[in-house]
Formats: sequence, structure tokens, C-alpha cells
Amino acid sequence: MSWESLPERFLDKRELRALVEDLADRPDLWSHHIAFGETGEARHYASLHRDSFVDIWVICWRPEDDTGWHDHDVSSGAVRVIAGTLLESNPRIGGAHVETLVSEGESLAFGPEHIHRINGQAEHSVSIHAYSPPLWRLGQYSISEDGVMRRASVSYADELRQVDAEALV
Amino acid sequence: MGIDVHQHIWTAGFVDSLRGRAKPPFLDGWTLYLDGEAPYEVNPRDHDLDHRLAFNREHDLDLALVSLSSPLGIEHLPPEDAWPLIDAYHQGALELPASFRAWASTCVAEIDPSPTAKALDSGFAGLQLPATALRDAAGYARVAPLLDLLEDRDLPLFVHPGPAAACDDAPGWWPAVVPYVQQMHAAWYAFRAFGRPRHPRLRVCFALLAGLAPLHVERFIARGGSSRGTVDPDAFLETSSYGHQAIDAITRVVGIEVVVLGSDAPYASPPRTLLGEAADHTIAVTNPARLLDTKGAVPR
Repeated sequence: MSWESLPERFLDKRELRALVEDLADRPDLWSHHIAFGETGEARHYASLHRDSFVDIWVICWRPEDDTGWHDHDVSSGAVRVIAGTLLESNPRIGGAHVETLVSEGESLAFGPEHIHRINGQAEHSVSIHAYSPPLWRLGQYSISEDGVMRRASVSYADELRQVDAEALV
Repeated sequence: MGIDVHQHIWTAGFVDSLRGRAKPPFLDGWTLYLDGEAPYEVNPRDHDLDHRLAFNREHDLDLALVSLSSPLGIEHLPPEDAWPLIDAYHQGALELPASFRAWASTCVAEIDPSPTAKALDSGFAGLQLPATALRDAAGYARVAPLLDLLEDRDLPLFVHPGPAAACDDAPGWWPAVVPYVQQMHAAWYAFRAFGRPRHPRLRVCFALLAGLAPLHVERFIARGGSSRGTVDPDAFLETSSYGHQAIDAITRVVGIEVVVLGSDAPYASPPRTLLGEAADHTIAVTNPARLLDTKGAVPR
């Protein structure tokens, strides 16, 4: 399955997971985008496809890459790890954050209620991401030292960079 | 460190060329006469180089692309009228300081690729065509030899509004808000239907967010448009005279990877997008570099 055969409507998280699982078996669609920058460069990403209902990305991660806390506004999403391991965290107010390792061959899927942060865990990790509706605006969160959480509305371009150190708490 | 893909500046040679004419379009001093429009008082400071350099510094623009003012209708004049004006524009544009580059222009009344090939090979960033020459299948078929030149050279096309039809008693904003928007809307969908199939490798940039044409994608799909509204990654949209609301709406439909900064100076200024630093950088640096294929462009 590829994007051409998808229904002409928004997809839910189960459908998005099925999509990224299928795309994982189609390296002809994404393998040429895999690249890792030299030290100090931002992590590498490439748009595989965007239409009115879904957008699909491939992202190459280094261990120091960190999205910071964010939501996806009205979008659902799914992530399939192609190589290496990612660490997904979910914020827990007043307690230890939830942490989940997602390794090669595994995937995660989420609805628009989901708040998370993803780090590259292993060297040379690669993942395929799909979102529906296509990414537009995100909520980006910072948690201050005294535990106060704040939200900033940003464009999806901001998911692809770290915000200030406060957001990494 | 930004790139502005859409400015106009009338160099001394171009002004002289307009002053040398006795019929529209022409300048009498700084009064512009166009067919079917009231005389327009041009502000000389709008075309003063030092003033523009200061403007570009103030807006953190390292590079500005200038183009012929297509609404004057020069490209639609007969070749014997059009080329002296276009040649004067070309010569002046190439003599601007290094912080400028320019879009070439051409006569669309009679399509002759040879002078355009010569112009493109003399250092222009690409070719500008008026949207009034690109409204339909016939329009794209006529200019196909020009677009072939661009594809052969891996240079982009810039689609800019052409002359507006005369409208009695219209306020000053009318051409920019009604005819220009309609022209760009038609050119965008005509490109989708007729231009892209014939020119699969062409990078193209539509001024003024293509008159917001991409926002009609739901209607396009509902009425039988093909391919799920798939975004054409080489069809760029330039922001001139729009701001946060329209740019935000456009990025919702086509993503931010095809949006490029254009100010249309001296008629407007770069927008405040309120989309954040990452989006502003993408619009002002990353995407124009890919459109223009300058060094460091991010491959897709």
C-alpha cells in the first residue's frame, strides 16, 4: 500500500499505523532520503509526500536530537522505527515522565490528545512519520524548574528543532 | 539572512526608456500613463537604489530578486515596442549591486525563444511571465518553448500579475485585490492542468500566494480533480502583500516547504508571519534557496 490507494478522507491513528508499517516495507520510497549530518547540524528530515489528507516524513536521528514536548493540534500520527531506537516520553505532572523505547520494527500511534517528546536514542536511528490531517500548527510546551507547564503555538516547522533548554526539563 | 524573490526597481535606463515613448505605457516626468487607467504619480524614492538598499538591510534581506513591472503590459506589446523596454530593464537589472539578482522578461505577443535564451545565459535567476499569458491551455502551449528553455537550464519560472482590465471609478486597491488575484488563481490551476504535465521538472513560483488558489483544493477534489490534492513540491508560492492569516491558511493546505518570501517592494513590505522563527527561516532562506537552486539548498 502507498498513499495513492488511501481513502480520500482523514485517517485515524490505527490507519496511520498501518500506513507507516506498510511504508517500512517500501524502501524504494524512502531509502534515498536517509542521511546523517556532520556533528553540530540539525537532524535530517525529508518530506516523502503531502496531500490534502496525510503528510509523510522520514527523519534521521542522532542521540542528541530532541523534539521537546509538543502536541499536534488536530492531527493524529504514527511513527515506525526503521533503524535504531527512539525514546518517546509523555509528561507526568508532579511525577516521573513516562518513557517508552521504540526500536527497529516497532511503531507508535497517537491521537490529537497526545503530548510527547521524542529523542534519538541509538546512533543512526531512522523513522517514518505520518500525520492526518497534515501537520499545520503544534503546541510546544516548556516545563519550568518549579514544574509549571507553558504552551506556545508554533508552526510544524518548529517540531524539527529544539526550543530553549527549559523545554528539555 | 533572507532572500526576497519579488521586488521592483526602475533603473535610470528603464525610466528613460519609458519617458521616450509617446503612447502608453509611458512616463511624463514621474507621471505614469497606462491604457485605460488614470495617470499615476510615481514616487521617485520608491526606485532610489540607496533607499532600497537601506530597506533591504532593515528587513535583513541579503538578496533581493527584482523583476519587470508586468502590470504595465510591456510583455504584451508588439515586439518592436516591447523589446526596447525589456532590453533597458535587462541592462539596468544586471548592473544592480551584488545584493540583487533579477528575473528576465520577454515579449509574449510573439514568442521567440532566442533572445530569452540569450538573456537567461547572461546571468538572470530565471524568467518572469505575466499571468495574463498563462490563463489556460492555449497560454501554456504558446509559452512552452520558453518553459523548455528554463527546464533545459534548471532555472525557475516566476508568474506575476499582468495588466488589469480597466474598471471605471475603481479605487486604487482594486487591481491588486480583484484582477491580479483572479489572474493568479487561473494561472495556478492552468499550470496544474496544462503546465505541469508538459514540464515535469520545472520549478515555478507564483506571486501573491497564487491569489490563494491552493485554498480551493477541497473544491478541486470534490469536483473531480485528481490525485488527492497532492502537493507539487516544485510549485512555490510567494507571500507578497499577505500576512499571518493568509500565510497560515496556505501552509495548512500545502505545507510550509513551498512558501517563499516575497515583499513586492516598493509596494509592500515583508510580512510578519507570527509562525515562529523556524517557519520564518524556512520561508526566507531554505525554500528560496531550493527555488533558485542556490548553494546549500535542501534537497527533497
